[in-house]
Amino acid sequence: MEPDPKQERKGKRDGWIFFFAGLIGALIVGWIIFPLLLYSERSQPLNFSHVKHGPESSVGLDCEECHFFYEDGTFSGIPGLKKCIECHEDPESLYTDSPEEVKLFTNFIEPLKEIPWLVYSRQPDCVYFPHIAHVKMAETECRVCHGDFATNHTLPVFKVNRLTKYSIDIWGRNIAGYRKNTWDRMKMNDCAACHKQQGKEHNNACLVCHK
Amino acid sequence: MEFSRRNFIKFFAGGIGGTLVSPLPWKLIDDIAIWTQNWSWVPLPGRGKFSTVNSVCTLCSGGCGIEVRKVGNRVVKIEGRRNYPVNQGALCPLGMAGQQILYNEGIRWKAPMKRVGPRGSQEWEEITWDEALNGLATKIRGLRNEGNPEKLAGIDGNHSRSTVALLIKRLFDAIGSPNYLGMPREEDTHAMAAFLMQGTNGPVAYDLENSDFILSFGCPLLDGWGAPGRMMSAWGQVAGDKPSTRPFLAHIDQRASRTALKADQWLAPFPGTEAALAMGIAHVLIREKRYSKEFVDDCTFGFADWFDAQGHGHKGFANIVLKKYSPQIVENITGIKKSIVIELARRFASSHAPIALTGRGKGLLPGSVYEFMAVHALNALAGRINKSGGVLVAHDLPLAPWPDAEYDTVATDGLKRERLDRAGTPRYPFTRSLIHTFSEAVNSSQSSPVDILLISSANPVFTIPDSKSLIEALDKIPFIVSFSPFKDETSLMADLILPDHTYLEKMEDVPRPTGVQYPLFALSQPAVKPLYRTRHSGDVIISLAQRIGGTIAESFQWNSFEETLKGRVKGLYQLGQGQIAYDGSEPVWKRLDKKSGLTPVYSSFESMWEALRETGCWYVPSHTFGTWSEIFQTPSKKFEFFSSNIELALKTYSKGKSLDDALADVGILARGDEVYMPHYEELKSRADEKEYPLLLVPIELINLASGWIGNPPFLNKTLFDHQLRKDDLFVEVNPKTASTHGLQEGSKAVLKSRTGELTVRVHVFHGAMPGVVFIPLGLGHTAYDRYLKGKGVNPYEIIDPTEDPLSGQSVWWNTRVTMVKI
Amino acid sequence: MKKRDSAKGARYGMVIDLDRCTGCGTCTIACAAENNVSVLYDESDKTRNINWLKIYMLTNGKAFPHTEVVYLPRPCMQCGNPPCVPVCPATATTNDSDDGIVSQIYTRCIGCRYCMAACPYHARDFNWFDPAFPKGMDRYLSPEVSPRMRGVVEKCSFCHHRLMSAKSKAYFEGRRDLREDEYIPACVEACPTQAITFGDLNNPKHRVSELIKNPSAFRLLERLGTEPKVYYLTTKDWMRRMADNYLQGESKKEGNRPEKKNG
Repeated sequence: MEPDPKQERKGKRDGWIFFFAGLIGALIVGWIIFPLLLYSERSQPLNFSHVKHGPESSVGLDCEECHFFYEDGTFSGIPGLKKCIECHEDPESLYTDSPEEVKLFTNFIEPLKEIPWLVYSRQPDCVYFPHIAHVKMAETECRVCHGDFATNHTLPVFKVNRLTKYSIDIWGRNIAGYRKNTWDRMKMNDCAACHKQQGKEHNNACLVCHK
Repeated sequence: MEFSRRNFIKFFAGGIGGTLVSPLPWKLIDDIAIWTQNWSWVPLPGRGKFSTVNSVCTLCSGGCGIEVRKVGNRVVKIEGRRNYPVNQGALCPLGMAGQQILYNEGIRWKAPMKRVGPRGSQEWEEITWDEALNGLATKIRGLRNEGNPEKLAGIDGNHSRSTVALLIKRLFDAIGSPNYLGMPREEDTHAMAAFLMQGTNGPVAYDLENSDFILSFGCPLLDGWGAPGRMMSAWGQVAGDKPSTRPFLAHIDQRASRTALKADQWLAPFPGTEAALAMGIAHVLIREKRYSKEFVDDCTFGFADWFDAQGHGHKGFANIVLKKYSPQIVENITGIKKSIVIELARRFASSHAPIALTGRGKGLLPGSVYEFMAVHALNALAGRINKSGGVLVAHDLPLAPWPDAEYDTVATDGLKRERLDRAGTPRYPFTRSLIHTFSEAVNSSQSSPVDILLISSANPVFTIPDSKSLIEALDKIPFIVSFSPFKDETSLMADLILPDHTYLEKMEDVPRPTGVQYPLFALSQPAVKPLYRTRHSGDVIISLAQRIGGTIAESFQWNSFEETLKGRVKGLYQLGQGQIAYDGSEPVWKRLDKKSGLTPVYSSFESMWEALRETGCWYVPSHTFGTWSEIFQTPSKKFEFFSSNIELALKTYSKGKSLDDALADVGILARGDEVYMPHYEELKSRADEKEYPLLLVPIELINLASGWIGNPPFLNKTLFDHQLRKDDLFVEVNPKTASTHGLQEGSKAVLKSRTGELTVRVHVFHGAMPGVVFIPLGLGHTAYDRYLKGKGVNPYEIIDPTEDPLSGQSVWWNTRVTMVKI
Repeated sequence: MKKRDSAKGARYGMVIDLDRCTGCGTCTIACAAENNVSVLYDESDKTRNINWLKIYMLTNGKAFPHTEVVYLPRPCMQCGNPPCVPVCPATATTNDSDDGIVSQIYTRCIGCRYCMAACPYHARDFNWFDPAFPKGMDRYLSPEVSPRMRGVVEKCSFCHHRLMSAKSKAYFEGRRDLREDEYIPACVEACPTQAITFGDLNNPKHRVSELIKNPSAFRLLERLGTEPKVYYLTTKDWMRRMADNYLQGESKKEGNRPEKKNG
């Protein structure tokens, strides 16, 4: 029997439907469902507002008040509880009516427990990153890597990769790894590319950043 | 639309295509690669702020300064402090591994414990401190109510001058028990020799750094003796100098120990004949008139022949030595060629600042009194007593005394009773404590003369040469209380555990670290808060005393251990001299005879205390040389070659019997005037030489902890596989000895003494003296954790100790053994 | 891969005075503590245990009492021409940094152990087991060095993290150059007899560059051409001969320092 050209066309069309069904299904899985499955959300112990504390605010703290270098050159990335207590000393006289401030007292200051902040830019244990070499010596701005944190009213949602246990911000919030700003991604290649761009390719020797 | 095979493939192809242009595969590959790097069971070190705490290592009585490095509130490492006068940056392997002692959960008691099962079943119940202390206080009150305070006994391993040791001693005094025993130490023998010859009781102070000829009779200077940090640092400071400008070290040892290897001259007399060698040198000094005539004539007693008050003639030391210790005789005894003896003596005499010293092991084991006296006699002959670069006559620190303890009638009566170990009685007149006679006393009584035994900072079951009789005694004693922070052999035999902090968790003092030649008070700081529900033994003693009540509570009117310690330190402040800081620029020993830097920088006691807590040391960079008549406290007020104190003691002891019988009792072979003088005593083993042809000599290694602190796992890394392999301990045997016994490298063999046998392996080593089997101390634990328990054997299990004449202390290096290959 | 120019940058090296070294083992322990080296139950299994700095005991074999023993501490030689680097299929070990230190990146290592076979000094150890620390002892781990996982090779890094910390400290003080004593590996700092000297071999002001000119200085297996940066000093002739596997009767060849009789 001769194949019916109409049938054949229909069959071909059907074939494309199946093909696209597969394609679209896979795209949905790959672009939407997979990221949802890969990351779990965790909330920060407190919703800290940089804006409320920062230089522009009524509190008017300089960035260096909390993010400073110790004398041995190590960096106080996130200050300890002691720093908070310097101002938040009396549970009876709160600065705001924010429930977060109450939480700060009841959960941490009273039991003298360090606040278990979730760090967006925490690198793997095998990485050594000296802030002082980048910030002081190479005069890199904080936002080059960290983005505009200082203008945050609320802390971004912390997402952790279920497989690697790293923060989403290492790979970047874009699942494709697309990077628009310098601070969108913090993978090894980004470090290396920047070193190269700055003419410091010798700093791409393995031991410089690995410990 | 039909879902045909073809369409399925198309669907699948679309799926693959879609997947490939989605991030899924690429991201997954990356993530899985990272996942393989992050096994959840690989520990992740915690982060935190870096900081350091200045403290002092109190693992031995060396008093080395340490810098404890911390991350957050965790200790991560311990380092030696360059700005500390004792060790100037140096630390021994054990001190370096201290964090493993703190953090090894498997070896620590975490709370007060009460034994619930039968002894040895290791069934324990956690109790509160109140429960534990009230229970113990009631028991002690019970003993006192019965009028038997002496039924409380104690074994204390704390440094005898430390505040904790004094507190424990005070508790015993206040309760009324004379049975407080210190663990035996080399310092005891030093103190005895110093008392007999000089009449002084001060600490050992060898001015080694200022000497130019060090004649060491087996003193393992680089194997952990004294303050190991000080010794190694001192060696490092001179080792690079030309031989002509650095001190000459002649070391006497039967084995190529680390000290022997670094010595300029290594001599190997037969074991136990060191005293004969010393006397041989004395002979040459006297015969050739190379001794210090000035010192010997003016400041000594018993050198020349003399008549006593009763008109009896006595042979002087000079004549006895000339007659009995000619180089030929000494060669016969020691095996050292007479020409070498003569040469050594001449070198000793012609040196500018020679010093002779003794000591066996790291300082945890007693020596032989006559041997120590014989060596010290050389210092006297060369006029090296209380001279720069010689043996300094040191005094205890001027720490403020506590108010006297209060005694009630029970206490005064109790203290009059005889000590169980008979130390200090006419039988052992000069000895502080004796563990083996204590054990014998317990074992030979029908029912135990001890009802409660307190054990602090000691693991005697493991570290006493004659542990068998002690274990038997412990089995018999109804109630044993251990203060040990560790699950060691002794605490596992206890009924009540009152765990102390480990050294990094507490404040402790080391007054005059062993051997250091200038006054120094070392104070340690807690580097971390206590990890577990443990308590400082000092606080526990105070609290216990207060709970017992009565005059005992009145004797302990302090709130805390820190307060008692602080009270003592006031004495240092009142001296009006001393330094708190050391900048590391000029070693203290270089400034001993200058009278500079004495004025303190602190203006009040509080500021001194604060500074002391910060730096961990108070010291006086000077030595008070004084005048001879003040220095020698002997009956003759001179340095005594003829010890009047021995004569007196033996007179007392021989009352009602003949002197010969008394001497036989005390174990002295010599007769005549020699009995009272330094001389060579052959320390014969009880075993038959034919039946047991080899001599077993335990050795201490600097990288193997052999005291009450168990060897931390890091130290196992440094042992060679010819020292420990799997669970087998190796003994060192000379190739000649090995071949006569049919042994090869690695052979398994049974070592058998009169009292027991051990299975070991053989390391054939040229550096071991023929006929001697060298066995390391420190392994063979039956307690602790998997990293230590069951590894190797404990030589003490087959040591067949004899009593050292006069002192009664155990002689642990003359056990005879056989060795049979299996 | 770009080959390092050894004349440029620093060339950190060590001089170990064997006459001073007593073989006490403090360096080994300081190293293990500093670098989170794991501990086996059976540390006597020398084919499985890990020691970045291992001490060897060598003897002249003479009869008692003429026996001499030398304790020889052996860290990684940080060769100028390291045999381990070209064999690594994963580029986990490189010699491309400005300080001459041979790197070992644990997260990159695939555990093939070619480098161990290539290293003539046995300076590399393999993690046959998961890193073990007795219960509770993971509390003393230092965050400055990342712990290794099972199946990777590790070795001495001259405490590279201390170099980085020293640099950070210098940066804080506004300096780029390090003083001689600012970067010292843990073993050097710990050695109680000061037997180890450390510094930049390229810097004529550093003590090491003076010490290696000493006639009694030598390196291990010099004839292999690995250019080790760890030098040893000893006046003991038998020890120096032992360092390079000479045949009986063979004398030192060119390229090595002439033999000097010691007094």
